Amino acid sequence: MESNEQYLIGKVQRALATDPRVHKQDVTVTVCGSRIHISGQTSTNDRRRAIELVVSETVPEMEVRNELTVIEIAGPAQPEMIRD
Amino acid sequence: MIRVAAIGDVHFSEDSRGRFTDYWSQLHKAADVFLIAGDLTTHGTTDQIDALLEEVRGVRVPIVAVLGNHDYHENKERELRLRLERNRVIVLEGESTVLTMGSYRLGIAGTKGFGGGFPGACASEFGEPEMKAFIRHTECLAERLASELKKLKCDYRIALLHYSPVSDTLQGERLEIYPFLGSYLLAEAVDSAGADLVVHGHAHLGKEKGLTAGGVPVRNVALPVLKHAYAVYHLGVREAEISDFKSEI
Repeated sequence: MESNEQYLIGKVQRALATDPRVHKQDVTVTVCGSRIHISGQTSTNDRRRAIELVVSETVPEMEVRNELTVIEIAGPAQPEMIRD
Repeated sequence: MIRVAAIGDVHFSEDSRGRFTDYWSQLHKAADVFLIAGDLTTHGTTDQIDALLEEVRGVRVPIVAVLGNHDYHENKERELRLRLERNRVIVLEGESTVLTMGSYRLGIAGTKGFGGGFPGACASEFGEPEMKAFIRHTECLAERLASELKKLKCDYRIALLHYSPVSDTLQGERLEIYPFLGSYLLAEAVDSAGADLVVHGHAHLGKEKGLTAGGVPVRNVALPVLKHAYAVYHLGVREAEISDFKSEI
């Protein structure tokens, strides 16, 4: 990875962690030429859009590809017997 | 038997309202107690905790929680705790509680915990004051956890944490960030005092199941790991009780 790509990824991840609109630390950021890909999981569609907005504002010169998925919550998990 | 429901890292904000209502309002059918393993909010505002409280008002079993690192971000952790407690949520930080459930008593010792890493790749209290303060914080919380677990007089004991006590449940996370996800000092505290189960969150890309070196089951209940409204763990009948039962036959 080129050094400028590394610093770009660091800049985006710092912005996502500290921006009060998202405060998100577990987004995977990859750079491919003039495109920046963001992937991982988030909890709502609103937050998915907010993360993309923060990235776009942080690196306006880049095209943002939003590959984040929204977590679908299923009902309770099957019980596990811890000690019988 | 005691049925324990658990979830962590729900990261509530205004747009979370209603996501859990249907599941949590029926939780009493599956569990006797509900544990929340930290990161109740996105970044620790009172609006966000109020959004969570709207959801937990429908829960009909005792709720016990620890705060997570996100809940500390706005420095309003005392206010969040007050609001939770006013709404029947027991909040633990270096503290413990005992709940009576039928003929059984369940003891829960809770702390947020903190980082530091795991044997072979961990921080120690050495060097700059900032580094000493970092690891000393973890040491203090671990010492408190051991002390609270030891004093519990009950049938079953659970350690409720936000940070992980083992690396087992971090698998899937990048190795470089393990020291920010937990500390073996928490596992050492659990093993020194004894417990039936450890529940934690924080590691969104980790896995659910692990074990301390002393053999205590560890469960990572972070929502992104579970993808369920909550996990359910059954703490079964003690061997001694089975022996008592057999001797009565």
